[in-house]
Amino acid sequence: MRAVENALGITIPDNARIIRNLITGIQYVQDHVIHFYHLHALDWVDVVSALKADPAKTSALAQSISDWDKSSTTYFKAIQDKLKAFVESGQLGIFANAYWGHPAYKLPPEANLMAVAHYLEALDWQKDVIRIHAVLGSKNPHAQTYLVGGMALPVDPNSQNALNVEGIALIIELANKAKTFVEKVYIPDLLAIASFYKDWAGYGAGVGNFLAYGVFEQDNVSNTTNLYFPRGIIKNKDLSKVYPVDQTKIAEYVTHSWYEYPEGDGKSKHPWEGVTKPNYTGPKPPYEFLETNQKYSWLKAPRYEDTAMEVGPLSRMLVAYASGHKRVKEVVDSVLKKLGVGPEALFSTLGRTAARGVETLVTAEMLLVWLGQLEQNIKRADLQIHNNEKWDPSTWPKEAKGYGFHEAPRGALGHWVRIVDGKIENYQCVVPSTWNGSPRDAKGQKGPYEVALIGTPVADPNKPVEILRTIHSFDPCMACAVHVVDTEGKEFTRIRIV
Amino acid sequence: MKIPDEKELGFMEKLAQKGISRRDFMKFCTMMAATLALPASFAPKIAEAIEKSKRPSLVWLEFQDCAGNTESFLRASKPTVVEIVLNLLSVDYHETIMAPAGKQAEKSLDDVVKNQKGKYITVVEGAIPTKDGGVYCCIGGRSAVDIVKEVCGNAMATIAVGACAWDGGWPAASPNPTGAKGVKDVVSGITLINLPGCPMNVQNLTGVVVHLLTFGALPATDELGRPLFAYGERIHDHCERRAHFDAGQYVRQWGDEGHRLGWCLYEMGCKGPETFQNCPTIRWNDATNWPVGSGHGCIGCASPRFWDTMTPFYRRLPKVPGFGVEATADKIGLGLAAVTAAGVVAHGIARAVKGKGPEQGEKKE
Amino acid sequence: MQQQRSRVYVWEFPVRFTHWINLLCILALSITGFYIGNPFIQAYSAKQYIMGWIRFIHFVAAYAFLMSFLIRIYWGFMGNKYANWRAFNPFSAKKIRDLADITMFYLLLKKEPPPAVKKEGHTACAIYVYLGLFILFVIEILTGFALYSQSHYGVFWKLMGGWLLSVINVQNIRLYHHLIMWFLIAFAILHVYIGWFLDKTEKNGLMGSIFSGYKFVTGKELE
Ligand code: SF4
Ligand code: SF4
Repeated sequence: MRAVENALGITIPDNARIIRNLITGIQYVQDHVIHFYHLHALDWVDVVSALKADPAKTSALAQSISDWDKSSTTYFKAIQDKLKAFVESGQLGIFANAYWGHPAYKLPPEANLMAVAHYLEALDWQKDVIRIHAVLGSKNPHAQTYLVGGMALPVDPNSQNALNVEGIALIIELANKAKTFVEKVYIPDLLAIASFYKDWAGYGAGVGNFLAYGVFEQDNVSNTTNLYFPRGIIKNKDLSKVYPVDQTKIAEYVTHSWYEYPEGDGKSKHPWEGVTKPNYTGPKPPYEFLETNQKYSWLKAPRYEDTAMEVGPLSRMLVAYASGHKRVKEVVDSVLKKLGVGPEALFSTLGRTAARGVETLVTAEMLLVWLGQLEQNIKRADLQIHNNEKWDPSTWPKEAKGYGFHEAPRGALGHWVRIVDGKIENYQCVVPSTWNGSPRDAKGQKGPYEVALIGTPVADPNKPVEILRTIHSFDPCMACAVHVVDTEGKEFTRIRIV
Repeated sequence: MKIPDEKELGFMEKLAQKGISRRDFMKFCTMMAATLALPASFAPKIAEAIEKSKRPSLVWLEFQDCAGNTESFLRASKPTVVEIVLNLLSVDYHETIMAPAGKQAEKSLDDVVKNQKGKYITVVEGAIPTKDGGVYCCIGGRSAVDIVKEVCGNAMATIAVGACAWDGGWPAASPNPTGAKGVKDVVSGITLINLPGCPMNVQNLTGVVVHLLTFGALPATDELGRPLFAYGERIHDHCERRAHFDAGQYVRQWGDEGHRLGWCLYEMGCKGPETFQNCPTIRWNDATNWPVGSGHGCIGCASPRFWDTMTPFYRRLPKVPGFGVEATADKIGLGLAAVTAAGVVAHGIARAVKGKGPEQGEKKE
Repeated sequence: MQQQRSRVYVWEFPVRFTHWINLLCILALSITGFYIGNPFIQAYSAKQYIMGWIRFIHFVAAYAFLMSFLIRIYWGFMGNKYANWRAFNPFSAKKIRDLADITMFYLLLKKEPPPAVKKEGHTACAIYVYLGLFILFVIEILTGFALYSQSHYGVFWKLMGGWLLSVINVQNIRLYHHLIMWFLIAFAILHVYIGWFLDKTEKNGLMGSIFSGYKFVTGKELE
């Protein structure tokens, strides 16, 4: 959509910009919390051990790290009983067959119980706060009010069927709820859990190059560079310099991907010229392993100036940190101080997970600021939400091309479009998980996942929870199988990660 | 309403232990009765059924999908996911939210398929690619087709959630490079119900499950395999903007006065008049809103092959095949009428020139 | 050549009647249908019921049209030889030959009117055009009821056209329903013009015949 707006030179109204920021913002907050508690925490938290916890001590622990009101002994006792009844029923459901009791789990039972309680709370919380999407975007998942040129959500304080004071009041309530939970539950938990796993600041570093397109426009000029989380590149873990992003330097390889290019697979292609022609050469299913010296992935290998880049919250926070973003710097420094580690610890599995927390907090704080801007506009009777100029395709030039940059919760997302005669001629997306999960390129350079796994210790090769920790720290978005090859050890580890 | 007897109270105490009051539970049952369009007197029956059954196993398979239905599942509010996972069902396999991974996860699935043959419920999310031997989606080295055949084949019932699992959804949108298909076109002879939508509304999923637990059978469906309680009636006939439609008040431009006042979105391409789902009644995210409610037309996401059939999303009528992108039916029609009229006029003139009489006229060609 | 002109009763009352009902219905259906597809009048108050009435008129006219269509079919079995369904049998070598002649004449490639136009009933060209028209009518009726069945549940509406929905997708049904309207408008223009043209060249009173039922035919063509 931004790509089309860019191609056609559309400037969206200010209100549309704010609404988009709000939708993206609450998505960050909600998505990151879900990721932390429901997709990542169980790599660190042993649910079964929580049964052994003493509710009173848990309560003391919880109160020592936060003034969140759900922290009484009776509360934790009730949770524990619930858990007990559940375990006794013999139907463990999603918790069955996990790696419980694995030596890599280091939390005391009390911390485990607290985390389990918050796991359940977060499940309840997320479905509430995301109602902001319903108010602004009609529904979640898959908000439906995005339009090329603006938003389909009318704003009018005097109408029953537009975003009015009632809607704004609901957003304020939910945004506050979101912020409080992040401040009082998520961040304290993150710090508490992290303090037990400080050794993970030494693993999972990745490629050391970070790319962020930046997000949250502060004005409504399309593809603006005035972003709350800035755009930039960090090379070789060097935080002293931020390089600008030049979209023409992005190109994709298919050397090790199941696609083919007409000019041969050794060259890379810029997305405007991109070709997506599948060419499966892998083994016939069912299979056990994939050969990495041949083609082995459905992902293409995107490269910036021919180097692999990591994207995601860590990239965004590092670029912001290195560009001197005031609030990000404050929060990052305080987190580092509390954990007693230096900035070099950021380049790790733990750093990735912590950066996600920092970003959640900083974003949650901004929600009400943006909402305030919207209120100011309404006060000035600026109710425009859509730029109609180019709505009718007959007003389009014969040929146009554009690109749109966005930061999904998981990282840099770029869309490239070429429009000919009012029709899309070519549309290519380079999504965050292709950057992070990219296979090797023509020169054999590995992608961030593969590099990050090098050197990760695995206590029990049959139960590689450590590998999950690193892979999950990237927040992969792949519902299909991901096959990771452990390049250090001799053995191949086959894992499904979601 | 029936007064709960001793036996039920026993269960209720158990529920209370899990932190759910009798009142909450009955409220849930009543709500479910409403979703299923049953009289409120059914609530005790639902309660009884749920109390009696051991939590049935549920396995959730994902293929060519975006996890949107999973996300939708996580947004469940009545009951919440916590309640579903702890009280209603035993979710034994769900790639996205389950704790184990890899081999261990596959074990969870195998356990269910082997030990509970014919007793578990399968939920399928995502389309199944069938081209080239199914290589476009493999999990643990097995193709999706293979997995679906085995897991759904042995299930008591299969629920296909979302447009993709129903008829291929957007992976199957023209030109469908991977040969994506829905469950109904991949396996036959299974007990199947479909909850299309992009994504499905979780309240309808709970509805189906509760119906299954209460009556021991899947709810009645239409000829497309969708439950009537959720897809039996047209969006347009239950839309809150219908009065504006009938009156003749339409939104003409995004953000115009009509748009702000909540007029009908018909002219902006709303597909409510051809889409069957209960969005306007149950709405989304804890009944907070729904597409038309927020000011954007329905895009017909619960209609067959909606990426191909319901586009363009912002026009009333599809494009006329074989003409340029700009050709609307009206432009072509107007052209046709104009050509005819022009032909008639030309004919009249030609005749006036030529047809003065057989002698005067010149013969051409 | 001395030609004897005689007055023949060609169009019986039901034929003329359905002709005019069809005209009225098609007019009403086209105007209302066009509005339904593209509501060009904006109401100023929610208390108005413009679309409501327009749709009501559309549906009533649709029923009237259907009835008129059925009456005409009935008359195809009961009426005189000009109205009889046998007159519409397209598989006849003579008709095909006549069609070619008439087309040449209409396109002004032939100056002399061929004997085939001097018929008391429909000309061969008309037969084929009306057969096509008949098919368009059937499609309009079926697609119309298919769309109607979306908000009217039950077996009856399924049979009337609802079954189409499982064959073609709704949006295409809507498109065909709409496009055929334009074909009918184009037909109407041509129809009136040719009637007037033949009336002029043949002096056969064709235009009047649809009011009175009588056509004038030159003697030698009388059978
Ligand atoms: S907004 Fe859509 S569903 Fe609602 S009345 Fe208008 S056309 Fe129908
Ligand atoms: S209103 Fe239409 S597009 Fe929106 S969710 Fe419902 S069926 Fe899908």
